[in-house]
Amino acid sequence: MTLVEFPAIAMAAVACWVLGSLLQIPAGRSKPVAVFSWTLFVGGSAVLVWFLVSYWIALERPPLRTLGETRLWYATLIPLVGFLVEYRWGIRWLKYYCIGLATLFLGINLLHPDVFQKALMPALQSVWFVPHVVVYLVAYVLLAASSVAGFHNLWLQYRNKSSKVSESMSHYLALLGFVLLTFGLVFGALWAKEAWGHYWTWDPKETWAFISWLAYLGYLHLVARKTRVTTLQWYLGLAFLVLLVCWFGVNYLPSAQNSVHTYSG
Amino acid sequence: MQSSRTTADAGTAVEGFGGAALFTIFAIVAGFAVEWLTAGSGIVIPRWPVNFLFLAAFASGIVAVGLGMRDRPVVAWMGGIPVGLSLIVGLALLSFIGGFLPQDPAPAGSMVARLRLNSIFSSWPFAFVAFLFLGNLGFSLLWKTIPFRPANLQFILFHGGFWIALSCGLLGSSDLQRLVIPLYEGQESGVAYEMPSEQPLRLPYSIYLKDFEILEYVPQFALYDPSTDQVIDEKSRMVPEVRKGARAVWPGIVSATVLDFLPDAVPGKDGNPVLAAEGHKGVPFARIRVELEGQPAVEQWINGGGPGINPQFFPVGNYFIVIAPGQPKAFSSSVLIRGNDGQRRVATLEVNKPVDFQGWKLYQMGYDEKAGRWSTMSLVEAVNDPWLPAVYLGFFMIMGGNLLFFWKGIKKMEAA
Repeated sequence: MTLVEFPAIAMAAVACWVLGSLLQIPAGRSKPVAVFSWTLFVGGSAVLVWFLVSYWIALERPPLRTLGETRLWYATLIPLVGFLVEYRWGIRWLKYYCIGLATLFLGINLLHPDVFQKALMPALQSVWFVPHVVVYLVAYVLLAASSVAGFHNLWLQYRNKSSKVSESMSHYLALLGFVLLTFGLVFGALWAKEAWGHYWTWDPKETWAFISWLAYLGYLHLVARKTRVTTLQWYLGLAFLVLLVCWFGVNYLPSAQNSVHTYSG
Repeated sequence: MQSSRTTADAGTAVEGFGGAALFTIFAIVAGFAVEWLTAGSGIVIPRWPVNFLFLAAFASGIVAVGLGMRDRPVVAWMGGIPVGLSLIVGLALLSFIGGFLPQDPAPAGSMVARLRLNSIFSSWPFAFVAFLFLGNLGFSLLWKTIPFRPANLQFILFHGGFWIALSCGLLGSSDLQRLVIPLYEGQESGVAYEMPSEQPLRLPYSIYLKDFEILEYVPQFALYDPSTDQVIDEKSRMVPEVRKGARAVWPGIVSATVLDFLPDAVPGKDGNPVLAAEGHKGVPFARIRVELEGQPAVEQWINGGGPGINPQFFPVGNYFIVIAPGQPKAFSSSVLIRGNDGQRRVATLEVNKPVDFQGWKLYQMGYDEKAGRWSTMSLVEAVNDPWLPAVYLGFFMIMGGNLLFFWKGIKKMEAA
């Protein structure tokens, strides 16, 4: 499967999610409707998983090289976080944010389509390539979910409807995200030693990865200091901006001109 | 990173951060003042054994003060979370400068150069903040380690690993040697160059380059627009590979089909290509059928060009159908390494597969990119980093602590 089929795949996934979301309205009164709604939710994600696998096979390399490819993974993974959160904590609203973010990223890919390119530069042909990037992507997905959850918690607080379960959920998403961020950072350092001769060179991408890691390290220390819940939710909400700079924004900064990490797409 | 608590438990205000923030700001301002007064000279980290002795004295000082003066308010404050958090913010802000501004040479005397904003990670403000952060981290680590409790293992591994990796990485950077060795096929060299000074150095070994080889992906054909120096997107958004039978369509412009493909050929006497006698000296040739709307199809050989072979294109209005060489798939050097002590090693250097020799790691770094796959020159990087085992110990401790943190987080999440 190639990018020619991508618009149809993206439309199909979004259509499944939108229809599934609409069916959530009557789902409370009818179990078959609820089952059908969830079938559509999972089906939307399954379509993207199927595309990713087929695309991987067609490319003959992991589809993790360009920013467009990482957005595709992100759009595939983030709704799953929303679904798992509902399954674990019974929180229903997060999945809609997650679906919204996934739709946004699929939309960006539709507006800025990649080029089907099999080539993989020698430095990326490493056993570290898949674990490093996938661990980072899962971390980004969890931290994005914790960010939207942070903002939603502030909204709930503003309406005097604070929920301790929901506040715990945003914290645990950030905690798991930080764990994976740490693994991603260390995997990257170990890979860099094998590929480029040194584990850390303060390349702009590395620097921003370090800043992102420090941002969430700061969050965990604020938690340890029993900081006010409102402050923590604001922190989680805004911390994701740093990750966005690390993921996309760094390519547009003055420092990026000599980076080995600038990607197309 | 402290053991996690749910935000549901949290409820009190942030306390004690004002003094800690002022402390960090003072350290940063003092660092920039030193840079300004020394015209941005930066910090020069002493080499072995002075850096090791400094680290040993620093660690001993932390242990002595941390154990002997723990009850003093100033010591407790120095090892507390507010100072730690303020220094984390300080490190992040200084890193922000390094992540935003190019870390390249700047005009001497400029504000950027005088404050060393263009080399922030070897500047005095960064050194001050990192030093104080290591002190804060060291105290908190010490107090969680003595007396030892198994429940603190995660904290000890994570913080201890970070302390070791950061301190050894920073202080050991002065002992790191990264040298470039240019090698030519059929020749031996024991001379390397420090970059960017290009200062030559004699190595304790020499390397003989038997063969340098590049594997490339299949060449591609593209519709090239010389006015913009860009290629035009093909209909399927694929980069068409030059293979027999491959067809590319550039909507509204032209379509082309590959009738024949010779990956390694040279021009024959009659103008048609023939397979190259020596496999590496040829270039890719393709016979293509070009279809322009409303015109009869035209067939022609095109080639990508190379040493002694002029490239051939197919002109289409203001564009050209060209063969672009495939991107490098892999490149490697077959070498014989000979130590001054007589030790010999036959090896193949490849990207991502460095070779160890007498404490050095040898990397396949590059080649003559102008010559492409005809390059007979290979660039090898020789790296000697005596502090690497200590830094790796730190990395693996961080990962161990991280695993425990994950496990504890899952347990708490289940209980929540």
